[in-house]
Amino acid sequence: MSTASPRSGGIFGWLDERYGISPLIEYMRHKEVPLGAHPMVWYYLGGMTLFFFVCQIITGVLLLMYYQPGETTSYESIHYIATKVPFGWLIRAIHCWSAHLMIMSLIVHMFSTMLLKAYRPPRELTWLTGFGLFGIALGFGFSGYLLPWNELSYFATSVGTDSVKSVPVIGHWMLLVMRGGEDVTINTLYRFFAGHVVILPLVCFGLISTHLLVIQRQGMAPPIHAGTSTHGMPFFPNFAMRDLLLWLICLTVLATLAWLMPYGPKLPGMEWELGAKANPLAPAYPGIKPEWYFLWIYQLLKEFPPNLMGMEGPQVCLLLVNVLMGSWALIPWLDRKAQRGKHSPTFTDVGFAVIYFLTFLTLKASDLGVAVTPTNDAATAIVASYCAWVTLGIAGVTTLTRFFLYRHRYFLLSAAVLTHIALHGLVGWSYLTVGAVTVVVTAIVLTVSGLTRSGAEGVES
Amino acid sequence: MKMRRLLMAIVAASMFVTTSWAEPDAKDAQEAFTMPEALQKLISSVDDKGSAVISAEAKTYFDGLPSHAKRLFGEAVTNEYIGTPTQLRDLLSLKLNTSKLELVLTNNCLLCHTNSAYQNGPTLFSLDPVAAGSPSYMDLKLLLNDVHMRHKLACAGCHGGDPTGNMAHDHPAEWPADHDQRIADPKWIPQFCGRCHSDAKFMGQFNPSLPTDQLDKYKGSHHGRALLEGRNPRAAQCVSCHGVHGIQAANSPASSVYAKRIPETCGKCHGDPKVMAGVKLDDGSPIPTDQYEKYKTSVHGRALLEKGDIGAPACNGCHGNHAAAPAEVSSVAQICRTCHARNGTLFDGSRHKQAFEKNGWPECERCHSNHAITKTSDAMLDTSKGGLCADCHDRFAKEKAPTCKATAAHFHDTIVGMSKATVDYKGIAADLAERGLDIEPLDDERRNLDDALKTSRSQIHSFDRSDFDEVAKTGLDTVAKMKVLTETAEQDYSTRGHGLLVAAAMLALLSLGLWLKIRSIERDQRKGR
Amino acid sequence: MDSLTDNTAKHTRRSFLDLLLGLGATGWLASVLYPVIRYLTPLPSAGPSGPVKLSGEQLKTLDKERFVIVPVQGKRILVFSDPAQNLRALDARCTHEGCTVQYVPGEAVIWCACHNGRYDLDGRVLSGPPPRPLPQYVARQDAEGGVVVTPQTA
Repeated sequence: MSTASPRSGGIFGWLDERYGISPLIEYMRHKEVPLGAHPMVWYYLGGMTLFFFVCQIITGVLLLMYYQPGETTSYESIHYIATKVPFGWLIRAIHCWSAHLMIMSLIVHMFSTMLLKAYRPPRELTWLTGFGLFGIALGFGFSGYLLPWNELSYFATSVGTDSVKSVPVIGHWMLLVMRGGEDVTINTLYRFFAGHVVILPLVCFGLISTHLLVIQRQGMAPPIHAGTSTHGMPFFPNFAMRDLLLWLICLTVLATLAWLMPYGPKLPGMEWELGAKANPLAPAYPGIKPEWYFLWIYQLLKEFPPNLMGMEGPQVCLLLVNVLMGSWALIPWLDRKAQRGKHSPTFTDVGFAVIYFLTFLTLKASDLGVAVTPTNDAATAIVASYCAWVTLGIAGVTTLTRFFLYRHRYFLLSAAVLTHIALHGLVGWSYLTVGAVTVVVTAIVLTVSGLTRSGAEGVES
Repeated sequence: MKMRRLLMAIVAASMFVTTSWAEPDAKDAQEAFTMPEALQKLISSVDDKGSAVISAEAKTYFDGLPSHAKRLFGEAVTNEYIGTPTQLRDLLSLKLNTSKLELVLTNNCLLCHTNSAYQNGPTLFSLDPVAAGSPSYMDLKLLLNDVHMRHKLACAGCHGGDPTGNMAHDHPAEWPADHDQRIADPKWIPQFCGRCHSDAKFMGQFNPSLPTDQLDKYKGSHHGRALLEGRNPRAAQCVSCHGVHGIQAANSPASSVYAKRIPETCGKCHGDPKVMAGVKLDDGSPIPTDQYEKYKTSVHGRALLEKGDIGAPACNGCHGNHAAAPAEVSSVAQICRTCHARNGTLFDGSRHKQAFEKNGWPECERCHSNHAITKTSDAMLDTSKGGLCADCHDRFAKEKAPTCKATAAHFHDTIVGMSKATVDYKGIAADLAERGLDIEPLDDERRNLDDALKTSRSQIHSFDRSDFDEVAKTGLDTVAKMKVLTETAEQDYSTRGHGLLVAAAMLALLSLGLWLKIRSIERDQRKGR
Repeated sequence: MDSLTDNTAKHTRRSFLDLLLGLGATGWLASVLYPVIRYLTPLPSAGPSGPVKLSGEQLKTLDKERFVIVPVQGKRILVFSDPAQNLRALDARCTHEGCTVQYVPGEAVIWCACHNGRYDLDGRVLSGPPPRPLPQYVARQDAEGGVVVTPQTA
C-alpha cells in the first residue's frame, strides 16, 4: 500500500486503465485535513451527518417496500411494519432515530462551522449549500412526520402548514398547493409523500454532490490563523478510515437505541409512537407539538400577540424568522473581518447568542413536564423561570470556558440575549417587550462603541 | 317545441302577475296598522325611577311583528285586557312566534289572568310566580310551553267558559263553585283527564302512538285504589306526577316523568314521612321512606342518574307507572328477569330454586337486595366472614355448609384469578408494546377473557360446580394462552437483544480491526517519511 | 537477519490484521444483511385453511361459463363441471409459465391461452409446451347445494 502507484492488476487495474482512477486517489492522498488549534472532532460532523443520511436512504427504501400511502392504508401499513413484518420494528426505529440524529449532527456541524469561521472565503458556497441542506433536512422531517397518518402528526401538520398562509398575496394559494385543498386531507399526504421520497431526495442529491465536491476540491478549512501550523493528516486513507470507524460506531449506537427505545425517547417532539389513527373530525387535544427542531419557531409564535403593528402576530413572527434565517445564510458576506482572514469576535458572539436564544425557546416549548394544564398562567411562568435558569447555567459554563480557555473578550451580544432571557424568565416581563427593548439598547450600544472605536481598529484579541 | 315555449312563457307571466298582485296586498296590510293611543302610552311608559318599562329589545321585537299581530295587541289594549305596562312587558319578553302569539292575544282568559290590575296572587299568571306570591303552577312561561297548549288546548279546555267572551264582570269570584271540595278530594281528576286520554280515537289525532289505557291501569293500581276507594285523598293521581299547568310529554327531559326525573318525582312523596304517614304495607308495618335514598346509591340509580343511561330501570321499571304496585315476592324474580334473563334461567335449574321456594324467599332480592341493589362483586363469593354464601349457609343450611363453602371458594378463586389476569395483562401488554413487540394477539385474547369472565360470573347462578367449570374453562384456557403469548413475546425480545449483542460484537471486531489497521498504516507512513 | 525476522513478524502481524478485518467485515455484513433479508421475505398470506365454499357470485359464473377460478389459500383453482355434469377442480396455474388456464366446454379440454397449452380434464398434458400435468383438487356439491373446494390434491 505504501507504493506510490496503485496495483495494476485486478478489477481496480481494469477500471483504472479505462477511467484513470489512480490520479483521483493520488489527489486525495495528498489532500490533507488541517491539524491545528481546535480539536479534530469538528471535522467529523459532516461525515457523520452523511452517514445518517445514507442510513435514511437505505431504511427509507426498505420501508417503501411495505408502506402504502392512502386513507385506509397509511396508518395500517406502518402498523403492519412495526408489529408484523420481521425486523420491521428495527427498520422503522432506525429510520426514525437516524432522522433525529442526522438533524442533531447537522446542527452541531453547522454551529461548529459557524463558530470556527469555516465559511470565510473561498468557502462561501460550502456554507450556502450546507444551509440549503439544512433546510432540506427540515423539509424531510416535516414531510415524513405526516406519513404514518396518526393523530399527532395530523394535527402537527395542520398547525405547521397553516403558517404558510401568512405569506402576503400568494399565501393562500401556497397553502392550497401544499395541502392539496383547504384542509389537511389524504391529498396532503400524497403531496408530502411525493416530496419526501422523490422531490426532496433529488434536490438533496444535487446539493450534497456540490457540497462534497467543493469540499474535496478545496479541502477542509484550516483554523483562522493558518500558517502557524502547516502539518495535516492525509485525507486518504488516514482520515477516511477514521470516518469509517466513526460510522461503524454510529451504526452500533443506532441499533442499540432502536432496541432500547423503538418508539423514541419520549421527549417533546422526539417520539414516534403510532397512537391513534388520524381523524380529521376529532377535536385537537393539548400537547400537540412539532418535532423538536421546530419547537423554537412554535414557541416564538406563541409569544406573539394576535395583532402587532397593524399586521397579524404570526405574520410578524414568521417575517422575523425569515429575516433571521436569511441573515444566517448571508453570514459569509456579513463577516467582513473573517473575509480578510482576521478573527471576528463579534460573529463568534453572534453564534453563542443564537445558541442561547434557540436553547431557551426550545426548552420553554418543551414545557419540561411542569405545565400540566395548558391554560395555566402560573405554570407557564414557572416553566419560563426553569428554562431561564437552565439556559443561564449553560451560558455561564460556556462563557467561562470562552473567557479562560479561549481568551474571548467580546460578550456584548450573548449578554444581550441572556439579559432578555433573564428579564423574561426570572423577572416575568413579556417576552416581546423585553426583546424589543434589548434589541434597541444593543443597537445603541453597538453604534456608540462602533463610533468610538472607528478610529482605533485592532483592539480585539 | 314552440308550444312548450309558449306554455312556459304563460306560466312565467301568470306567476309574475300573482306575485305582483300579492305584494301591494301585503303592503296594504303593513300600512293599515296604526298604533292606538293606549298602546302607545303603555309602550312608552316609565317606572317610578323614570326608566322605560318596555326595553329597546322588546320594542324591536314588537316592531318586527306582522301588522295583524300588532293589531291584536292594539285590540287587547283598547279592550283593556292588557292594562299594565308590566303585563305588556312580560308578554313581549316571551318573544313568542306569531301563531303562539295569536293564540295568547285571542284568549281573553289568559290576557285577564296575566293582568295584575284584575288578579292577585293565586289567580295571576306571571313570569316569576314566587315574587308575585302565586303558587308555582301559575308560571306563565311553563303554561305556554304546556304540551296541551301546544296542541291548542287552552284554559277553557279544562276550566270551561268562553275565551272570547268578556267575563270581567260576570265571572264569579269563586269558580267553579265546588272549588274547595275539588281541592280537598281530588278523586275526580283521573276521570277528568281520562275524558280525553282514554279516548283512543280522540288522542289519535294528536299522537297515535300514545297509549290510552292509563285510567284503566290506574284504577287497579295501589294509588288508584287508595284514592278512588276513599282511603287516602293524598294518594297520587295524574297531577301529582305530571303537574298541572306546564305538563310536558314524558320523553321531554323537562318533564317530571322523564326517565331520569322519575326517581325524584316518586321520591317527593315516598321519601317524605309526613306524606306517607298512615300508609301501611300488606303486613301492617308502616311503609319505609328511604327507597329514593337507597336507589340513588344502587347500581341502577347510578347508571340512570350519574351515567345518564336512560335504559336503566327507574322506580317504574319494576313497579310500573300508571299501574304502580309493590312487587310481590313471587313476581320480584320475574321482574328482574325481563333484563337479567340468563341468570334467571340458570337459577331456575339450580338447587337453590326449591330451597328458596320452601322458605318463601324472593329469588334475586334475597342476595342482591332491592332498592339499594349494588354492583355485584366477586367478594360476595368470599367464604370468610361477611361473604354472602357463607353467611347464608351458616344460618339456614348448616349441614350443607362445608360443601357450599368449598364450591363458593372454588367459584371465588377461579373468577378472581381470571379477573386479576385481565388487569395484569393490561400492564404486561402496555410494557410489551413499549418495547416494540406485537401485542395484537394478546389483546385479542384479553377480549376473549373479558367475555369468558362475564359468562363465568353469570354462571354462578347455576350454583353447580361442573356447569361452572365447563364455562370457566374457556376463560382459564385463554389465561393459559395469554401466558404462552407473553412468554413468546418476551422470548422474541430477548432474541432481539441477543441479535443486537452479536451484531455489536461483529461491529466491535470490525472497529478494532479498522483501528489497528489505521495505526499500522500510520506507523508505516511515519517510517516512510 | 534481524531485519528479516522483523519483516516476517511484521508480515504475520499484517496478515493477522487483514484476517481480523476480513472476519469483522464478514460478520458485520452478515449482521446487517440478516435483518434486511428477513424483512424482505414476505410473510405467508393469512387465509382460512381447509375447504372453501364458493360464493353466490362464483356459483353464478360456474353455472354460466361452466367454469370459475377460485382463490384458495393464495392458489388459483379452476372449478368446472365436465360434460357428465361432474364437478372437478384443477390447479389453474399453467405449468408452463404460470398463466391462468380456462375450461373450454365445447372441446372438453383445459386450455392455456398464453402458449396454446392443452390439458385433458384430469390435468394431463395433451399438447403444447406445458412440462407437467396440472395438480388435481377435490370439488364437490355439499348438502345445501353449494360447492366446496378442498385445497388438497386428490
